[in-house]
Amino acid sequence: MKFLAVIRQVPDGESRLKIEGGRVDLSGATLILDQMDEWAVEEVIRLQEKHGGESVVVALGPERAEEALRTALAMGIDRAVHLVAEGYLDPITQAEALAEVIRAEAPTLVFTGGQQADWDSQALGPALAEALGWPVVSWTTQIELESETQAKALHDLDEGAERVRVALPAVFTSQQGLNEPRYPTLPGIMKAKRKELKKLPLSAASKAEVLEQTIQERTRLNKLIDGKDPVSAAHELVRLLHEEAKVI
Amino acid sequence: MPIDFSLTDEQKELQKLARRFAKEQIAPIAAEYDAKEEVPWPVVEKLHEVGLLNAIIPEAYGGLGLGMLEEVIIGEELAWGCMGIYTIPMASDLGITPVLLAGSHEQKQRFFKKLTEKPALAAFALSEPGNGSDAAALRTRAVRDGDYYVLNGTKTWISNGGEAEWVVVFATVNPELRHKGVVALVVEKGTPGFKAHKLHGKMGQRASGTYELVFEDCRVPVENRLGQEGEGFRIAMNTLDKTRIPVAAGSLGVARRALEEATRYAKERQAFGRPIADFQAIQFKLAEMLMGLETARAYTYYAAWLTDTGQPQAHAAAIAKAYASEIAFEAANQAIQIHGGYGYMREYPVEKLLRDVKLNQIYEGTNEIQRLIIARHILNQ
Repeated sequence: MKFLAVIRQVPDGESRLKIEGGRVDLSGATLILDQMDEWAVEEVIRLQEKHGGESVVVALGPERAEEALRTALAMGIDRAVHLVAEGYLDPITQAEALAEVIRAEAPTLVFTGGQQADWDSQALGPALAEALGWPVVSWTTQIELESETQAKALHDLDEGAERVRVALPAVFTSQQGLNEPRYPTLPGIMKAKRKELKKLPLSAASKAEVLEQTIQERTRLNKLIDGKDPVSAAHELVRLLHEEAKVI
Repeated sequence: MPIDFSLTDEQKELQKLARRFAKEQIAPIAAEYDAKEEVPWPVVEKLHEVGLLNAIIPEAYGGLGLGMLEEVIIGEELAWGCMGIYTIPMASDLGITPVLLAGSHEQKQRFFKKLTEKPALAAFALSEPGNGSDAAALRTRAVRDGDYYVLNGTKTWISNGGEAEWVVVFATVNPELRHKGVVALVVEKGTPGFKAHKLHGKMGQRASGTYELVFEDCRVPVENRLGQEGEGFRIAMNTLDKTRIPVAAGSLGVARRALEEATRYAKERQAFGRPIADFQAIQFKLAEMLMGLETARAYTYYAAWLTDTGQPQAHAAAIAKAYASEIAFEAANQAIQIHGGYGYMREYPVEKLLRDVKLNQIYEGTNEIQRLIIARHILNQ
């Protein structure tokens, strides 16, 4: 069996982002393995620990994404494949390029993050499944391998959860609650250096182009309600929360 | 060779691991264990799990064989979370170092195995109630009796002393011989006649256990002696020359934490209609903190590099230890000042930085002793 995780490198949630020339400037940001992808990596390692076989991690991204791949290797993944591409690529183009690598690897299943902390498109998992012609189980919180060709999974829906049986190979995307990822250990870090990390240069044209980026800013309305008459103040507050803030 | 300040990918990775560990596993519980004056054993277990405990043990003996620079990188990160908690693995390395320096292959196998197969600590026992800086004046007696030494005496201020699997104890076969009579003996936990009493009421670093060790007719096999009779003092001094650098690393962590806390507070706290960070009085303090941190870190890395490349380093270790602890103490002090009244309260993390880092000016040789070492280095040239 072969278990494969697709990962992305994203800015740490505490990083301060700047816009330079209409583009997000990541030069001062700490970049990490995306948290939801980390759950995917952890699950792939657990599946390998339980069922044997091989674990592989794949990333599409700039040179620096190698650090995130090394983190996955330090956590325990056997080897890595890096599709090196600088600049923005839309999720469909990414999925098509990744699908080629995945098809050649022929894994039992693919796991990736439900969404990622930077572009937040939630598209890569489903787009990968589409490009591969495989089923997709999104927002997975539990997975159990019944055989090499069949798995049972629990996944979140808007209104609850659903238990499904799915034919393999399939693509799974992670959701909070799937697992508690392990730390990459120090011996793991030292071993990771010697593990295989294959680089494949990629030149693909993005179907979408980013023209300009801005940081979302919300200014406060600074509305103050006169509290001399508590009853009418409460009515006014409820009205504002209902009609303007739309939270109740 | 040209100067190169860059870290290897592996060093960056282990820095990242230690940073994350400190943020997620140490910082959130630091205040609680400080208040309880208790050793956070679950943290020791997790340190072992991720490989950050006793990592200087060579690979041949089941460790990771980390160099001094790696130790410094890890030390700064862990101490950022809590200096007291960092003292636990640091003091274990202090116990390991004399065995590394003077132990036989058989002794290394025997003693290191106990520290790698499960979460376990070592300790180093030199100070006594009646002597600290004058280390050669120790009174703990080791009297040879056949294949044993019979130990009698008391050691004090021993970090990890009660938790340790084994302690390297320095004793004298004849006090009149001063440093020439010192012998280094590895005393294992549970040896009859060896008792450890926890010392309570410390000002800071309260999450690390500090002990008084009492030896009463404690029989230690001769095969547990490191080096020869009379070599103990040199083993102790050579050990401290190395382990002062991790103390400096801990000070870097405290200084960085002080700067980060002070910066955050200065940007949030308003006075006279604007954040206090707008005032030069505050800006100058922050600038001083960074000047201290950056110079201390650069120098500590240099001292680690001298150690890793096998060059004379005793003076550099002394400079790093004394200097880093002093800039860190001042950084913690100014962080409190920037916080004003809140800085004086336990609700904010900065008062603990000051209490903790005070010890960095005292243990592993007071900063006055460091200055003696530095002065001797100047005068002997």
